[in-house]
Amino acid sequence: MQQIINGISLGSLYALVAIGYTMVYGILRLINFAHGDLLMVAAYAAIYAVTLLSLPWQISFPLVMVLTGLFGVLLDRVAYKPLRDAPRISLLISAIGASFLLENLAIVLIGGVPKGFPRPEAFATVIDLWGLRIQVLTVYTPILTLVLLMGLLYIVHRTKVGKAMRAASKDFETTRLMGINLDRIIAVTFFLGSSLAAAGGIMWAMKYPQVNPFMGVIPGLKAFIAAVLGGIGNIVGAVVGGFVLGLGEILIVALFPQMAQYRDAFAFTVLILVLLFRPTGIMGEPMTDKT
Amino acid sequence: METSTRNTLCTIVLLAVLAVVLYIFEKHGTEYQIRILNNMAIFITLAVSYNLVNGFCGILHLGPNAFITIGAYTSALLTMSPAEKQLSFIIEPLIWPLSVIQVPFAVSLIAAGVTATIFAFLISFPVFRVRGDYLAIVTLGFGEVIRVLCNAMQSLTNGPLGLKGLTPYTTLWWSWGVAVFTVMVITKLVNSSYGRAMKAIREDETAAKAMGVDPFRHLLLAFLISAFFSGVAGGLLAHLITTISPTLFTFFLTFNLLIIIVVGGLGSTSGAVIAAALFAWGGEALRVVESPMNLGFVTLPGIPGMRMVLFSIILMVVILFARRGIMGRSELSWNRVFAALRLQTKA
Amino acid sequence: MSDFFRLDNLGMQFGGLTAVKDFSIAIDPGELVGLIGPNGAGKTTVFNMITGFLTPTFGKVLWQGRDITGWPPHTITAQGIARTFQNIRLFADMTVLENVMVSFHHTLRSRFWKAMLGLPSHKREERRIETEARDFLEELHLGHLADEKAGSLPYGQQRRLEIARALAARPKLLLLDEPAAGMNPQETMELARLVREIRDRHRLTIFLIEHDMKFVMGLCERIKVLDYGITIAEGTPAEIQRHPDVIKAYLGEPKHA
Repeated sequence: MQQIINGISLGSLYALVAIGYTMVYGILRLINFAHGDLLMVAAYAAIYAVTLLSLPWQISFPLVMVLTGLFGVLLDRVAYKPLRDAPRISLLISAIGASFLLENLAIVLIGGVPKGFPRPEAFATVIDLWGLRIQVLTVYTPILTLVLLMGLLYIVHRTKVGKAMRAASKDFETTRLMGINLDRIIAVTFFLGSSLAAAGGIMWAMKYPQVNPFMGVIPGLKAFIAAVLGGIGNIVGAVVGGFVLGLGEILIVALFPQMAQYRDAFAFTVLILVLLFRPTGIMGEPMTDKT
Repeated sequence: METSTRNTLCTIVLLAVLAVVLYIFEKHGTEYQIRILNNMAIFITLAVSYNLVNGFCGILHLGPNAFITIGAYTSALLTMSPAEKQLSFIIEPLIWPLSVIQVPFAVSLIAAGVTATIFAFLISFPVFRVRGDYLAIVTLGFGEVIRVLCNAMQSLTNGPLGLKGLTPYTTLWWSWGVAVFTVMVITKLVNSSYGRAMKAIREDETAAKAMGVDPFRHLLLAFLISAFFSGVAGGLLAHLITTISPTLFTFFLTFNLLIIIVVGGLGSTSGAVIAAALFAWGGEALRVVESPMNLGFVTLPGIPGMRMVLFSIILMVVILFARRGIMGRSELSWNRVFAALRLQTKA
Repeated sequence: MSDFFRLDNLGMQFGGLTAVKDFSIAIDPGELVGLIGPNGAGKTTVFNMITGFLTPTFGKVLWQGRDITGWPPHTITAQGIARTFQNIRLFADMTVLENVMVSFHHTLRSRFWKAMLGLPSHKREERRIETEARDFLEELHLGHLADEKAGSLPYGQQRRLEIARALAARPKLLLLDEPAAGMNPQETMELARLVREIRDRHRLTIFLIEHDMKFVMGLCERIKVLDYGITIAEGTPAEIQRHPDVIKAYLGEPKHA
């Protein structure tokens, strides 16, 4: 039972990051390899906000989310916008380059030695829930995720910007032709996706309080797999995928402790299976090919 | 003199010159220089075979490190003597029959290539059912899976301890011999009908299909050939560094190869050669390959990161502003050299 | 009933949309048949179904007595059906000669390792392919452009290259999808002549889609008309020109010089 809660918690972290991937992919058809590294950026930013600027976490955490959101927009401007009309392979390479650049820049600027994350007391307490002793953070995480998700869905479905985003993800060219400011929509997409990733990053850092420049790599990849699993381009799918993956990962290890070393491989195996049998994911629509 | 005869003669002369140069370095070069030359050759082999898939077929394959790893381990496990193996595998003994086999270096290299090819074949079905980004992620994932497997399967790979004390079989002759062979064979393939078929797939897969080209078969061919040479290169690498472990061949290595072929020009073998040589000579690859520093779960690449920052920037700059790289898609051929020198040849 | 080429009640449904319904035709060797209809009538969809780019929801494609419905495109080409595309799909970065040489690939007898080792048998085949490819280029008046990049050619020549490429695949049935699109009347006339020459010289059967009425009426022996996926008329050019449903569907004039 405890593991189920852990699984949900982990799953919601994946979900938060997966949303960003799926939104960007939906519109730009680009896998933003650097997205996972935003986790890292956010975590470090939070550390500095709390320790250097001595801001209380209630202020610094949302601030970091906003800053990371802006950073995501910057990332797009620098690495992806110039390649809007280039072949896809160039975009992918640029994304990989950006990812590595962020990681290695972090090493140079901050050092590769892991740093501790100042976890606020409020999140560290252990509570008693249904007879199990759980870190309150583990419970907060899915709740916060759902709240953020609601907010996002509201934006996507109820606002003009959201409508434009949905249009762009259905038909990029036409939306462009209709005079809608595509650049702004893309910027908003990156902003939202990145700030959600930041939330994920902060909560991840609170859960595993060791922060290092490469911390975003594996969770980022897994989040991407979650997005694929749920149906890439589909926001709710990303969330579903995240939860399935998180739960699956925890439960596999719980039920088969000897497989603990293969934990990471689980996600990739899932990926291969999904691509083999149902490439459009759980919630995806079948793709048609135009000749 | 016929053009083709002239070209063949030039190639022979070039190879002879190369042989002389290698001989001189082998006899009189410093260890440092020899190491750079070895790395150069290995990176040329890797880059040229990687370029076959990414450059000529137009596919983003992000898992060559998997095949290098497979090759390295296969070769290492086959050349170590049973006694050495017993000494190394202290936590769990190596499984039979690997525990008793020992073969000559050359055989182990071939085995390395073949094993890598087999794995490539196994994974080819999910890989080539998709394209573009998915393909990239699947191959990337495969690289990670292999790393995890190598880390976990103590009885096969000795897990995180890795394999140490390998005999340094890799000499300049081996590494450059393989490099030359790889370049020649792949160049011939690319200039043949098969190469045209692959390029056609890259240009327009739909049209290629309509002209009778089976995309799966040809992508598979490129993938398998690439895996083979990557595996062999892995074997060479293992017996150059004499120590291998799962953390040695991470996505980082793939990234380096990607930089090389992009900078050299996706779709140009000569570009890949030039870029690989530059890269190895830059000394960077040398240190990465030589001393992976392992701090828990972070691998520090030599100088604290600055080098890689520079490399990342180079990659970004190339892809953003000079997408075609050094050679673009054209090749350096004898015809062009002579045209440039404006030497006359009798038809 | 022809055993050469037949489509039996071919139908294509995309979700709720019926693109083609009950399309049937039998073509005899050597015929020159045209398929016309307003834009979006489903003509290219029919071609896609024949050539394996789409698997029909209903019906069968029968070729030389075999059911090839849903076979992969490259296999169908190897069986003797080749096509051109409505939107030019040349291998832009490859030379004109290379574009044509690709079509020979499926006839290659030497295995890849022979190519890799540069064995003489492979070299001989390469020379043969190059010679024959050049012949096709000459036939389509493109010989002098052999070493140009295909993407740099002017439009009319690109269209002819598409045809040369399809020809080089040695088909028995050639499908041309709007070969005269974007051509001026002079070019169109030359193309019509060329098509007939090709058919006669190579003993081909040709099935083509076209909008240009003059081209179709002057060239094709038999015409089928499609509108909203349904066959509305079939017959000789003369019959079609007089057919009330056809005139109604088009609501337009045949192109004049």
